[in-house]
Amino acid sequence: MTGKLLSLALRNVLRNRRRTIIAATAIGIGLAAMVFTDGLMIGMSDNLIDSVTDTWLGDAQIHREGFLTTYSPELLVDSAAEVLDRLDRDPRVVASAPRVLAQGTVSSAADLRSVILVGIDPERESRVSRIDDSIVGGEFLREEGGEGILLGSKVAADLEVGLGDRVVVTISQVESGIIYQDMIRVSGIVETGTAAVDESMSFVSAGKAQEMLGLPEDGFQEIAFTLSDRRLAEQADSNFWAGYSRGGNTALGWPDLMAQLDAVLAMSDFSTLIMAVILFGLVAFGIMNAIFMSIYERIFEFGVMKAIGTRAGRIVSLVVLEAAWLAIISIALGSLVGLAATWLVAQQGIDYTGIELSGATFREPVRPVLTLQQFIFYPLWVLLLTALVGLYPAVHAARIRPALAMRRSL
Amino acid sequence: MTGSEGLIVAENVRKTYSDDGVPVEAVRGIDMVIREGEFTAIVGPSGSGKTTFLNLIAGLDSLTQGRVWLAGRALGEMSGRELSDFRRDNIGFVFQAYNLIPVLTAEENIEYIMLLQGRPREERHARVLEILEMVGMKGMENRLPGKLSGGQQQRVAVARAMAAKPAIVLADEPTANLDSTTSGELLDMMRDLNRTTGMTFVFSTHDRIVMERARRIVVMRDGMIAEDSRQPGGPPQ
Repeated sequence: MTGKLLSLALRNVLRNRRRTIIAATAIGIGLAAMVFTDGLMIGMSDNLIDSVTDTWLGDAQIHREGFLTTYSPELLVDSAAEVLDRLDRDPRVVASAPRVLAQGTVSSAADLRSVILVGIDPERESRVSRIDDSIVGGEFLREEGGEGILLGSKVAADLEVGLGDRVVVTISQVESGIIYQDMIRVSGIVETGTAAVDESMSFVSAGKAQEMLGLPEDGFQEIAFTLSDRRLAEQADSNFWAGYSRGGNTALGWPDLMAQLDAVLAMSDFSTLIMAVILFGLVAFGIMNAIFMSIYERIFEFGVMKAIGTRAGRIVSLVVLEAAWLAIISIALGSLVGLAATWLVAQQGIDYTGIELSGATFREPVRPVLTLQQFIFYPLWVLLLTALVGLYPAVHAARIRPALAMRRSL
Repeated sequence: MTGSEGLIVAENVRKTYSDDGVPVEAVRGIDMVIREGEFTAIVGPSGSGKTTFLNLIAGLDSLTQGRVWLAGRALGEMSGRELSDFRRDNIGFVFQAYNLIPVLTAEENIEYIMLLQGRPREERHARVLEILEMVGMKGMENRLPGKLSGGQQQRVAVARAMAAKPAIVLADEPTANLDSTTSGELLDMMRDLNRTTGMTFVFSTHDRIVMERARRIVVMRDGMIAEDSRQPGGPPQ
């Protein structure tokens, strides 16, 4: 009987093809909009995370406990050399870079700016961040380094200095608190598009920074690293983090390091959910309307079916199956349109380049991302929702009193 | 009266409708017994209550007062589901506007009730072929109702009504949409089926062609039986 009921339901849905096509198109557009919006939000989110992690942050970082709240330069990563060695051997880690961080000032004849002075290992840093790719003038620090300083583009502009000009770097030494000053030649200008870097960072070699701060050779405040699977950074309960959070060190993924961005992304996920509820709500009423129209058109037929012995439950099943068929046709249509629209827009991308959001800047055009889940979960939602909203008209049809439905006949 | 007095036993059957708050007495205290094998026509002018009475004895509408037994079962004592199954197994319906399911072929329409009964495919198919031959529609099993004439559709409707071998066939104005020749042929066919199978037929009609062939004519007027007459050659009383 189930097979016959399925066949009868399909034939009923195809009975009024124009209405079915119009209803399926409306529902399908809702699904396609959902697929596209989800793809766009994923693309936007990926773009922002890429921007943050690739530009400077890395997928994760290790600090001495308390450093991120106080930024005290004396809070050095415990056994940094050993940690770096472990990271180098860890298959889940792609690259790592140690950093020296300190607050200081950079001054020129024109002005003085407060900066974060960052000491980097040029070779390792180039594999973790994009500082080397963001040089808009001059050159990246050489391995042996020591002589030059890279200024954020905004810092250089404020100080009115260019390549080859000399600036005075002033810093307080860690142990003694003695003020250390050095005149360093500007060897490069960095422009990442990220305000946090361009407006307040200056880079010297790690050796130079350690010398200025009076730190030992393995004295680093931060180790940034990239992961082979960035999703690991979002799994705060993974034992990976515990493995690196010992000896007074704390390892954190980007969501913890950029809590504001993480919150914004969570908010955008919530917005997507709200939009899904609205879209699927519209879809639900579209389905209900189509089913009710179909029922009212066939009220006499339902009366006859009940008269000749069709149980109410079977009428409910028939109408719900009709709704399900309508959903399946809509899903096929919506998935196809959603796939095509998302793919087409992904070819060019939507240009938000340069726009900053919660400390992250769009570096590339946003390209909607297609995922298998969009073509599994959303269609499943449509199917379930259809069956659910189909229940109301189905029960209505099942409650039809044959004598009333067939008043003009038996 | 008791349910064992006939195939259908109606005792003091009354039905009052509310028409915009105004009570309308459609059926006013009918007592009637229809025995197995009868070929009965309930006749009367429009509004006389014949269709309402047919609905009541079929269990399609609720009684305001009285009792109806069909094949020994009191319809008023059954649940909705029991009544549905009872109609499926015991009553065949023929409607004025044929009312075949338009997306099902003639064969599928005829086997529909047997499908509800859960009968096996082979049995259903054999019965469909048998009954199509009986109603003169052999070879038309794969046609959709829309591809059949009115007369052919009504034959399929009769076949559907008889397919599950019900105790009784109730037909409401079955010839109303047919020309006189087709009506005559259809009625002759139904009378033959009545003779050969012993199946009971009850018609609600005002068509002379039906009345000419009926062996019992019940005349209704204003919701009551005005006359009940039997033609010679009817089943023993």
